[in-house]
Amino acid sequence: MSQPPEAITLSIDNRTLTVARGKTILEAARENDIYIPSLCAHEDLTPFGGCRLCIVEVEGMRGLPTACTTPVTPEMVVRTHTTLLHDMRREILQLILSEHPCSCLICDEAEGCRSYSSTIRKVGVTTGCRWCSNDGRCELQEVAEHLGLKEINYPVSYRGLPVEKNDPFYDRDYNLCILCGRCVRICQEVRAAGTLAFCQRGRHAIIGPAFGRSHLEAGCEFCGACVEACPTGALSEKASKWEGKPDREETTTCPLCGVGCQLQLLVKGNEVIGTLPAKDELINDGQLCVKGRFCVTELVNGHERITRPYRPQGGVKVEITWDEALDRAAETLTACPPQEFAMLVSPDSSNEDLYVAQKFARTVMRSHRVDTTARLFYGSGFSAYQRLLSMSVPLSEVEQAATVLCVGLDTRFGRSVVGVKVRRAIRQGAKIITVYPRTHSLGFISDHWLQTAPGTELDLLRSLVELTAGRASEVDASVKAAADLLRDSDPTVILVGTEFMAHTDSAAILEAIAQIARNLNAGIVALPAQGNLVGSLLMGAYPELLPGAFPTTSAEQRKRLERSWGCDLPAPDSSWNAATLSATHQAKVLYLVGALVSVPRTVADQVIFQNLYPPQRIEDADLVLPAAAFTEVDGTLINGAGRVQSMRRAVEPAGGSLPDWQIICRLAQRMGHAGFDFSSAEEVRREISAVVPGFGDQVEPTRHPAPLVCEGRVEDLAARPAAADSGRQTTPYILSIAMAEHTYRGFPLSRWVKGAAELFGEERLELSTADATSLDLASGQYVVVSGNSFERTWPVRITSEQPPGMAHVVLYPGEEIHANPYRVDVRKADV
Amino acid sequence: MHSFTATQEAARQKWSALQSSPIPTIYVGTASCGRAAGAMKVLEAIGGHLAEQRLEANLVHVGCIGLCYLEPLVDIITPGRPRITYSNVTPEKVESILASHLGNDEPLMRCALAHHDTDHAQGNGYTKKLPRFVDLPMLKPQVRVVLRNCGLIDPEDIDHYLANDGYIGLMNALGRSPEDVIAEVGEAGVRGRGGAGFPTAKKWEICRAAQSETKYFICNADEGDPGAFMNRSLLEGDPHAVLEGMVIAAYAIGASQGYIYIRAEYPLAIARLKIALEQMRAYGLLGHDIQGSGFSFDITIKEGAGAFVCGEETALIASIEGQRGMPRSRPPFPAIAGLHGKPTIINNVETLGTMPHVLRHGASWYRQLGTPGNYGTKTFSLVGKVRRAGLIEVPLGTPLRKIIFDIGGGTLKPFKAVQTGGPSGGCLSEEFLDTPMDYESLGAAGSIMGSGGLIVMDQDTCVVDLARYFLNFTQHESCGKCSPCRVGTRHLVEILERITNGQGETEDLTKLHDLGEAIKRCSLCGLGQTAPNPVLTTLRYFRAEYLLHVTEKHCPACVCRELIEYRVVPGKCTGCQRCVAVCPTGAITGPRAEPHNLDASLCIKCRACYEICRFDAIAGDAIVIGSGRKGTHEPTA
Repeated sequence: MSQPPEAITLSIDNRTLTVARGKTILEAARENDIYIPSLCAHEDLTPFGGCRLCIVEVEGMRGLPTACTTPVTPEMVVRTHTTLLHDMRREILQLILSEHPCSCLICDEAEGCRSYSSTIRKVGVTTGCRWCSNDGRCELQEVAEHLGLKEINYPVSYRGLPVEKNDPFYDRDYNLCILCGRCVRICQEVRAAGTLAFCQRGRHAIIGPAFGRSHLEAGCEFCGACVEACPTGALSEKASKWEGKPDREETTTCPLCGVGCQLQLLVKGNEVIGTLPAKDELINDGQLCVKGRFCVTELVNGHERITRPYRPQGGVKVEITWDEALDRAAETLTACPPQEFAMLVSPDSSNEDLYVAQKFARTVMRSHRVDTTARLFYGSGFSAYQRLLSMSVPLSEVEQAATVLCVGLDTRFGRSVVGVKVRRAIRQGAKIITVYPRTHSLGFISDHWLQTAPGTELDLLRSLVELTAGRASEVDASVKAAADLLRDSDPTVILVGTEFMAHTDSAAILEAIAQIARNLNAGIVALPAQGNLVGSLLMGAYPELLPGAFPTTSAEQRKRLERSWGCDLPAPDSSWNAATLSATHQAKVLYLVGALVSVPRTVADQVIFQNLYPPQRIEDADLVLPAAAFTEVDGTLINGAGRVQSMRRAVEPAGGSLPDWQIICRLAQRMGHAGFDFSSAEEVRREISAVVPGFGDQVEPTRHPAPLVCEGRVEDLAARPAAADSGRQTTPYILSIAMAEHTYRGFPLSRWVKGAAELFGEERLELSTADATSLDLASGQYVVVSGNSFERTWPVRITSEQPPGMAHVVLYPGEEIHANPYRVDVRKADV
Repeated sequence: MHSFTATQEAARQKWSALQSSPIPTIYVGTASCGRAAGAMKVLEAIGGHLAEQRLEANLVHVGCIGLCYLEPLVDIITPGRPRITYSNVTPEKVESILASHLGNDEPLMRCALAHHDTDHAQGNGYTKKLPRFVDLPMLKPQVRVVLRNCGLIDPEDIDHYLANDGYIGLMNALGRSPEDVIAEVGEAGVRGRGGAGFPTAKKWEICRAAQSETKYFICNADEGDPGAFMNRSLLEGDPHAVLEGMVIAAYAIGASQGYIYIRAEYPLAIARLKIALEQMRAYGLLGHDIQGSGFSFDITIKEGAGAFVCGEETALIASIEGQRGMPRSRPPFPAIAGLHGKPTIINNVETLGTMPHVLRHGASWYRQLGTPGNYGTKTFSLVGKVRRAGLIEVPLGTPLRKIIFDIGGGTLKPFKAVQTGGPSGGCLSEEFLDTPMDYESLGAAGSIMGSGGLIVMDQDTCVVDLARYFLNFTQHESCGKCSPCRVGTRHLVEILERITNGQGETEDLTKLHDLGEAIKRCSLCGLGQTAPNPVLTTLRYFRAEYLLHVTEKHCPACVCRELIEYRVVPGKCTGCQRCVAVCPTGAITGPRAEPHNLDASLCIKCRACYEICRFDAIAGDAIVIGSGRKGTHEPTA
């Protein structure tokens, strides 16, 4: 433990203050509510001393030192407000404003304007009059007000730079930039990324990626840290730049992947206008990835959200009341025999939703036929992944690691907070090894990038198993070096991504990873793509698992539940899971709770579709029920490390939508069943606590992470044929398929979030530049990919991120895949 | 391990063998200044002539001796004869010089400049009436300590340096404790020659006392002032002097790794440094366990990309670290936390060049040079409108008048001002000519010593335009980090541009002053804190000239283009039509043999007519440049 810093006494403006040694004058002043104007200082950043507004007078020091860079010393005598300082600050601010459209700051009519907007659009963007998206949130405005600046003695120049709008998610208007460097420093110091830099010198000095590259080319992760740090309107979020100041903020948990970042929802009226990272030291530590930072607002506010229940009739939507909708649903479900019912739930739903859903299936429908789409995502590796989750340690362990082994993980866009942790670990001296087939952001900074040809991952990992166990194995020097590094360092953390989860041998891959961890006594951080995968297991949203993750076959546990629920439970039914839903295995009613799977419409007679957005085709559902988004509900999620975290209702559900658990409860009540009279998520949680051992202890505010303890095991889907058997040996390409992981309630984010489509490539075939040239392909053209009994057509994306001979595609869970990786032929599609 | 004494002895023998060589020895000044004047072509011609005549001679490259206005310089020694220096040698002159000097054993008097005979100050029969080299007016007032070897030895041969008492200072230092070395330097009163004049020993002491396993020593060779070339010449002419100083300094502070941060625009200096470093390693003067002293130190050359601000210590450190060259606030000072956060000392090239002498001759010897508080010598690049431009070295405290008039030979037109300290320095008027060149006197006058640039101006220089030029330079070189410097200097330039364009107003002078003071007070680093000096000093000493620009729209030096006009003096014009031919806009018209007419509305002030009128001397000065209501002015003779 480090000693608490020594306290020292100094005088600021004739006030005697006691502060910790090591603080700067500015920090000391701020702690004691002494205002010193400043634009470049930021609490998360090291002192910079660029804006020079925080100059102070210190007895015995030459000149005017800046408060933000000068550490306090005992008996220091500081003056922060003298005539000289005031004059100098005004002079400096004038200089800054002479490069910044600033009529909004010094206009005579500013006061009236603010109240009545009398001069809106009087002048254009070049002068900035009431035309800056940052108006009212601008730190320059604050400083100008403080210094009472009403006039600028210098000609105001406009840089005339084009506003940069080409990259997704945020716009950059460097005409408003005051070069405080906060964005550059946050990118370098906090994100450890270095996408942004100061470019040019003197009057041409400007911020941007070095060498004139675009942000995408420069490796930007679109985490938005720079946008948050910008004191002016130079960087602004596309989706919410004109929304103004939020009324309030609400902390919640991001459900867009299993990391479980804490989100600060910015709310104005009844609308989420933006998200910021919460300062949660244990998980995201004030950082977010592009999904949490930029995708949420658009996702929950989409104008295509379903707001009323409806039923399709003759190809059009007929809106109906909730009463009518529930009556219809109850009628359909009452007529459905247990063996012909099927329910699919999204593994990013809250524990409350999942619990109520499986309880509905088991007690109302008297069927164990409830499953989540995670089954389709993890396929034959599901039980192995479940075991990995039970070994998982908190993400924060990464920063203490001596070596980090990353398998199948790219942190560029999704999970970029993990990348931040890895880079911070590197700063502390950690070594990085990555196993990944394609160019990836961690690869650039790794000590050993073990690039695997598709299909060889298992061989490589098995070699590492042998080597880390101290046995010999025939391997390349690079693998040997990586293994030596792993054996020689302690502690090691293994980060497991989902790139290989759809592979034929995913179960063996996961087993190998677990074995390496055992050999090295390493911690595993499983990074599930689903926001509540652990919760779905613990709530028993699977035919083979009861709440508490007990096996359905356990008579004792069934009995315990029967006592709690006051009803009989059906006998275990091992013949069914989500994967058996197919054209040949029909159900009478398919109830999709936040789930979206690519199955033929003929899979069920009746489809009840409960989600945020409508199904792709109107005929895909017989009844559509509007569900509330995660920003509109209370509930809990469990992240990959087993931490139970809260989601909080920040706004009212959109239109007439309702939380999933509430819809299901109303339906159960309508069907005349007891045990569903919950009036709040809190009440559901109370019942979960009673039914799931240990759950109640973990609910906030304690939030102690606990590894997932599962007595029951999920069953794996049958392994697909191995790669070598399934394709023609002579074909030149190996197709590697990954599962889409950037989804919410089954929908790809790219469908509802404009910028996401530019970043997450789904359902497009990625080919190397060399292959594209030899096939005479241009990006966007279609290719036919064929193997044994397999032919698909996809648009092509040409990339320099993968080796020739590799074809890569991201598909949605439920798509029929024969083998993976798969030898295929690729040809240009006939137009 | 090479024994130093043996190495030194071998070098001395090699040197004296060259001095008493049975064949002639030809020295060619091939530093950058010589090369710019055509030294390489001269060298080629010499080689050609020797081959053609089947003559044998030693060809030695030497550095710059400081007489830059006389380059290329070639020295010839024939057996038994004193060394003779030839100036302004061209490839065409080579044949006659060599034919006479080598062929007839007779120096070619019309091309010869001086002799180096130490016995015959007045020259003997052989040297006739040639002056002795050290008695040349440009050299006589100088005291060459740091530059003593420049132009005389081969900078690419460590033996030449060793033979001339090289590395004795280092050996003395290694024989004493580091604290002793620092005490000696402190006793000598050496002040940093980079510009600020901070006592070198004080800086070393802080670093010596800092607790750290790793310490760095950096030689700042990022010489970026326009018109300054002291460091370049020293590095090109005598690199070992600097390197010896560097090892001494590293020993004193306890550094294990050194860097020379040098701008990439100095390729010759870099090449010579690389050679010198290799030679030092070969002789055991660098690397592990230097001369058996137990002290290990190595040096890496780091090339800068030519940013002026990288001469600032913290920016320089950032640049070596691979960061953008941007200064950071102090404290912590580099001596406590510098390169990679370790204690680091950065000394200027010339400061290091001084160290071998301090350690060889001792502090009391050094204190005989200069004036109290300002001991030692200082090198200056003497340039501008001075008759004898070049690199000089004088004791600190030498009055400006002596430098400009005795050494530099004065100006062609009446002297007007001198800019000391480069773009960060100030512009001093005639009344300061008797100011001694020392840190305090220059500071009191509002200027700085700087690294040693001296730009002399005569009546043809407009001080407003000069201030605009320097501010434009600093504005472009501002790193952009702090707002007073980045934005403030731009406004200074814009106001100065307005004034030189004839759009200035009286309140602009107040604005210049107030803004300049604010920039000085509020900027982060030395670049910003000194950038307004040219404006503030010209405003202070040449306010009348500013006022003429603003109120009368008159540029007395006839420099500011918008304030001048070209006129034909009818009485003088012979109507030769040459100006008509060169005028690109057809502004001058008129029949042959009659005074021409110049249409001011078409004139673009390109100066072509003016030049041709003087060049041909048919009409002479029939075309004049005038400014404002004050009538005409003729800028050049």
